[in-house]
Amino acid sequence: MSLQLDVNGEDRMFYGDPMTPLLDVLRNTFLLTGAKDVCREGFCGACTVRIDGVPTMSCLRPVALLQDSKIVTIEGLGIEGDLTPLQQAFEDHDAVQCGMCFPGMVMSLTEFLGRRPEASREEMKEALVGNICRCTGYERIIDAALSVRLALEAAE
Amino acid sequence: MAIQATSSIYIAKSVSDAVSALTDQGPSAELFAGGTWIMRAPLRQEKERHSYVALSKLPELSVITVSENEISIGSCVTHAELAEALDGLPDMHVLVTAAAKSANPAIRRVATVGGNLSTVKFSAADLVPAMLCLEAEVEFMSEAGIERMPLGDYLHRPAGAARVMTRVILPRSEALSAHARLPLRKAGDYPVAIVSIAVARRADGLIAAARVAVGSVENVARRWQTLESAMSGLALDPHLIAGRAAELLGDFRARDGIEADGWYRLKVLPTLVRRALETITQQ
Amino acid sequence: MNTFADPTKAVMNLARRDARDKLRGRTRYTVDHVTPGTLHAFLLRSQIASARIVSLDTSVARKMPGVRGIATAEDAPGMHGIGIADHPLFAKDIIRYDGEPIAAVAAETLEQAKAAVAAIIVELEPLPAIVTMAEALAPDAALIHKDWKNYEVLLEGAARGGNVAWEAKVIRGDTDAAFARPDVEIIDSCFRVGRQNHVPFEPRAVVATFEDGRFHIQTSTQVPWTVRHVTAKVLGIPNSQVRVTVPPVGGAFGLKFDCSLEPFAAILARATGRRVALVNSRREEMLTCLCRENAEIRIRSAVTKDGEIVGREATVLMDCGAYGGEQVFLTTMTAHTLGGNYRLGSVRLSSRAVYTNTAPNGAFRACNGVYNTFALERHTDEICQAIGMNPLEFRRINVIGDQDIGATGQVFEGNVLGPMLERMEQLKQKMPSKRALAGNRLYGRATTVGTWFIFVGPSAATVNLNTDGSATLVTSGVEIGSGTMMQSLPQIVAASLGIDPSEVIVKTADTDASGFDLGVGGGRTTVSIGAASVAACEEVRKTILTVASEMLQTKAERLVLGNGRVEIIGVPGSGMTIAAVAKRAQELFGPVAGSGAFTKPGIPAMAGCAMGHFIDAIDIPVFAVHECEVAVDPDTGHVEILDYRVVQDVGRALNPRAIHGQIQGGVVQGLGYALHEEMSLDGFGRIRQSGLETYRLPLAQDVVPVQIDLYEGGPSIGPLGTKGAGEVPILNVGAVVACAVANAIGKPVHELPLTPPRVLSLILEDSHNLDLEHISRKWEENTIR
Repeated sequence: MSLQLDVNGEDRMFYGDPMTPLLDVLRNTFLLTGAKDVCREGFCGACTVRIDGVPTMSCLRPVALLQDSKIVTIEGLGIEGDLTPLQQAFEDHDAVQCGMCFPGMVMSLTEFLGRRPEASREEMKEALVGNICRCTGYERIIDAALSVRLALEAAE
Repeated sequence: MAIQATSSIYIAKSVSDAVSALTDQGPSAELFAGGTWIMRAPLRQEKERHSYVALSKLPELSVITVSENEISIGSCVTHAELAEALDGLPDMHVLVTAAAKSANPAIRRVATVGGNLSTVKFSAADLVPAMLCLEAEVEFMSEAGIERMPLGDYLHRPAGAARVMTRVILPRSEALSAHARLPLRKAGDYPVAIVSIAVARRADGLIAAARVAVGSVENVARRWQTLESAMSGLALDPHLIAGRAAELLGDFRARDGIEADGWYRLKVLPTLVRRALETITQQ
Repeated sequence: MNTFADPTKAVMNLARRDARDKLRGRTRYTVDHVTPGTLHAFLLRSQIASARIVSLDTSVARKMPGVRGIATAEDAPGMHGIGIADHPLFAKDIIRYDGEPIAAVAAETLEQAKAAVAAIIVELEPLPAIVTMAEALAPDAALIHKDWKNYEVLLEGAARGGNVAWEAKVIRGDTDAAFARPDVEIIDSCFRVGRQNHVPFEPRAVVATFEDGRFHIQTSTQVPWTVRHVTAKVLGIPNSQVRVTVPPVGGAFGLKFDCSLEPFAAILARATGRRVALVNSRREEMLTCLCRENAEIRIRSAVTKDGEIVGREATVLMDCGAYGGEQVFLTTMTAHTLGGNYRLGSVRLSSRAVYTNTAPNGAFRACNGVYNTFALERHTDEICQAIGMNPLEFRRINVIGDQDIGATGQVFEGNVLGPMLERMEQLKQKMPSKRALAGNRLYGRATTVGTWFIFVGPSAATVNLNTDGSATLVTSGVEIGSGTMMQSLPQIVAASLGIDPSEVIVKTADTDASGFDLGVGGGRTTVSIGAASVAACEEVRKTILTVASEMLQTKAERLVLGNGRVEIIGVPGSGMTIAAVAKRAQELFGPVAGSGAFTKPGIPAMAGCAMGHFIDAIDIPVFAVHECEVAVDPDTGHVEILDYRVVQDVGRALNPRAIHGQIQGGVVQGLGYALHEEMSLDGFGRIRQSGLETYRLPLAQDVVPVQIDLYEGGPSIGPLGTKGAGEVPILNVGAVVACAVANAIGKPVHELPLTPPRVLSLILEDSHNLDLEHISRKWEENTIR
C-alpha cells in the first residue's frame, strides 16, 4: 500500500503495511530519528510528534490514518541552525543529560506553554505525566520551561 | 519491489458502512477508534488481528450535544474533548474528572469514549464507572439497526456481533457527582481502584438517592447496590458513609494484579468513597 | 613543573557541547545507526527457565524469506565471566533462564528475522527450576551449574560450591567474644529487596561489520574494552581482531557495563558479510535486564549502652541469576558498605553470590551499596531504638574518621563524615521543615550516611596538540549522559594546557585509537581518565614550555600557560600563542603529543581479613549524607517526599552545576527504587513487569527539588582532588526514605520498594520482624566450610 504524508512541510511517500506505527515510518523510512523508540506503549513520550498541531505518541498512530494530517517532528522545529526559545532555555540551564527524552519533552512542553503560558510549576509537572526522563530528575526541565514563560512575559 | 502488506485498514465512509465492513470481514476484523489498545497488542503478546475498520473520518461520531434533559456524546469523542466540553456542568463533575485525569495528556487526546467503554480486558478504565453512576445508555448500530442498552448491560454483551457504538446518552439531573481514582504514583498509571458517585439530595439535605460505581476492583466495573441502599436517607456525611462502605466490602471479589492484589483494592474503597463524598460536599 | 598551580582554573560550569544536537533530535545514538541495507538480527530466546536442549533444527528457518544467516552455540565456543568463566553466549545443551538466547537470525527486515526465529524447531526437556535463593541453598538443591568445579577461575581465593557462585568473607577480630560480652545489647535484623531495572531510554544495541578479517562493533556500551575482550573470548579469536567504537549512549546506569548483545551481531556479520544490527526490544530489556540484584540480608550487632559497636556479623545473599556476572565481583563491596560507615570493634561478613534459574543480574549505579546502605541504616535506627539513643547522636559518635579502621582493616584518612553531618544540620536550618504539608498524614524524617567508592583501575589517554592551538584528547571514555566527556575532561585538559575548553576536541571511544580503559561508570571517569589525561598533558606541557623557553630566551619555570598563550610570569601581554609554539615544536621535533596512564595505587587492607575480594581496600572512598521528610497516607499507604537534602563528598567540584544535575537525577532514580519500581518473579522464573505500564518510574509529579551542599576537601588521589560524583547520589535514597517512613508509621521497615500496598500492610498489621529462616543466626553456617 502506498501513502502520501506531509512531514515537516514536505510530501513524503511510504510503501508498506498500513498499520505501521508512524514512529517506525519516521525512523526507518524517512530516517528522521529524532523521535525515539523507547516503550512503544504510550507511557514515556519519547516518540512524541505534532499531528495537526497536537502532541501525539507516534508509536500509537497507524500511518494509514495520517494521510490528511500535517506531521511535524523535532527536526521540523526551529529555523535552520537556531534553537527554539524552549530548546535554548534547556541549553542555558544545562538540563540535558543523555538526551533521549528531550525531543519528546520539547514537543510536549512547547505546545503546553503556548496554550497555558501562565501555568504554575505544579501544572507543568502534571502536563509531563506522559513524558518520562530517567536521567535528570525533572526539576531543571521545569526550571527551564518556567524561564521561557518569564522571558515571554518580560518581553511584553 | 512490491511489499506485501500484512494488515489492512478500511476507513469507513459512514456508520452503516462500518457495520457492513465488520460483518463482511467477520470475527477477524476489529474496530479502530483511538486504537491505543490495538497498537499495544504486539507488545502484550496478544494475538493480532489483521483487518481493521477505522472510524476516524466520521464527524458525526465526534459530536457532543448538551441539552436540558440529556447529553449526547459521540463514541469517537476523545477524553480531552469530553473533559473540555462538559467542564463546569454541575451534574457532570464525575465525568469531567474521569476524562481529565486518566492516563496522560497525549493518550487523552487520542483515546475515545467508545474505546474506553468497549475494551473488555481493560479493567481500570476511568470512564466506565463514571458513566455507570450517571446511568449512561449506549447506542449502537448493527445489522439489525440502531439499538440502545444501559451501559451496565453493554459491559456484559456477548462477543461477536458486528456492532458500532455511535453515542452515549446521559440523562441530566440535579445530582452532584465526583470521581475518586487511586493510581500508585501521583498519576500516570492505571488506578488500582475507582469510585464514582452521584448523589441527589432531598429538600432537607438528606440523601434521596445515590449511585455508586466501582471500577478496577473487579474485572468489570459495576454499581455498588448495597451501599446505594444503605446511603438512602442518610445525611451526606463522608466519614459515616465510608464507615458503612467498610462493612460492605464483602460484596466484591477483588482481582489480583501485577501492581496490586485484591485485598488492597478493597481496603482503599472506603477511603475513595469518603474522598468522593468530600468533593461533592464542596460543590 | 606543577601542572595545576591554580586548580581553580579548571573549575567552571562549562555547558555541554552535545546539548544542541540532542535537543534538536540530531544526535545519532547506536539505535539511530540502523541505516537501510543493514540486516536486522533477532534472538531466539528460551520461554522456559530450566531445560535440557534435546535438539535444535534451524533448517526450515534458513530457507525463510530474507534470511541471510543463523548462529547457534557452535559458532561461539568460549565461556566468559567475572571471576569465573561460567557463561556461554548461547545456551548449549542446558537452558538456565527464561529469555536465555538459543540462536540468532539475521534477515533483511526485522519482521523476517522474527518469522524465521519462530520457525526454528527446539525440542526441550523441562527440568525443575530453582527460582529463589532459599531453594538454591537448600541442602538437597539441584545444581544449576553441574560443572562448576571445572570452570576456569579468573581470580583465586574465593570459596565456591553447589549453587554458590562466589563467596567473599571478612573476618577481623573476635566477634564471638564481642557477642558474649555481658554489657552488650544484641540487635538482629533481616532485610529483603527486589531487583531494579535501569530502563535506560536507549536499549542495548549494536551494529557490527566484519571486514579485512576484523570485526568492527559499534555499540551502546560503557566498556568498549570489555566488549572487545569478551567478544573475542566467546568467539575464540584474538582480541586484536575486534575493534569497538561507541556513539553517544542514551543512558546506561551500569546496564551497559558488560558485554551482552555484541558477540551475536559479530557472528552474524561474519556469517553474512553484511552490516548487522541487533537492538533489544523494551520487553527484552525488561525481562533479561542485568538488574540490580534482589538480595536478602541478616545483620546483627553487639552494642554497648553507650553506643559502641563492639561486634557486627552479617550475611548477604545476592541473587546472580543463572550466571555469576557482576555479582561475583560485587561480593567484594559488602565489606565496604554494609561493613562501612561506622567504627566496628570486630566484624565478620559473608557475601554469597547465589545461582538461580532467573535472568542474570548485573551492575546498576552503586550496585549493592544501595541495599546494603538501606539495611545498615535501618539496622542502625533499630539499634538506637533498642539502646534508647538518638539516631543522629549515634551516627555522630560512630562514623568513620581519621585513622579509623574499616571492615577489612584499611586505615581511613581524614575526617569527612563527621563534618558532613554538621553540614547537613546547617542545610536543615536553611529551609524550614515541610511538616505542615503533611496535613492529616503521618510525618517522618531521617538522616542517613553512606560510604561508596570510586572504581579506579586502568585508564589511558593521549593528547595531541595541534598547530592551530587546539588539542585532541584520545581516550576510551564514553559519554553516557552524565557529561564527564563533555565537561570535566575538557575542563581538566584545558586548564592543564592553558587553552579554552572549546579548543579541546574529545575523540569518541575507539579501541583502535586509545589504550585500555576499565570503562565508564563507578564514578571513575573524572578520576581515572582524568588522571591519565593530566599525565598526558604533562608531557605536552613539557614540550611546549621547553620550546617556548628557547623561543623566548626565558627559563621554563618563569613561563605560564593560559588563555591560549605562553607568557612570562608577571609580564602580561608577553610571549606568544600556544599555536605558534606548537608550530615551532612540530618543525623541530615532529607533532606534539603526550601519553598518560593511571591505575589504582593500592591502599593496603589488613592481612588475612578479606577472602575472595577483588578489592581489599578502597582507594578513594566517597561519602554521602542524605536527609528527607516524608508524609505517609495512613489510609492508602502512599508516601510523598516533602523535602530532600544531600551533602555529597566531591573532593573538588569541577563543574558544580553538572554535579547538581547528577544528584537530582540520582536521587530521583533512588526514589524509584525506594517507592515505585517493583520487579517480581512469577513461579516460573519469569519477571512479571514487562513494560512501563507495570514498571513504574518516577514522573515529574513524584519528585521534589533536592537541596544540595557539595562538600569539598575530603582526601582524594584524583586529579585536582576530585572524586567521581555521578554514581553516589543514589546510594542513600532507599535508606533515608525507609528510615523516614519507619519513623512516620512507627513500625520497622525491612523491605523495599515501599509501594502503597506494602506500606499499608505495614500500617495495618501488628509489627513483626522479617525473619529469613534460611539465613542462620550462627554466622559460620552461612559460609562454605
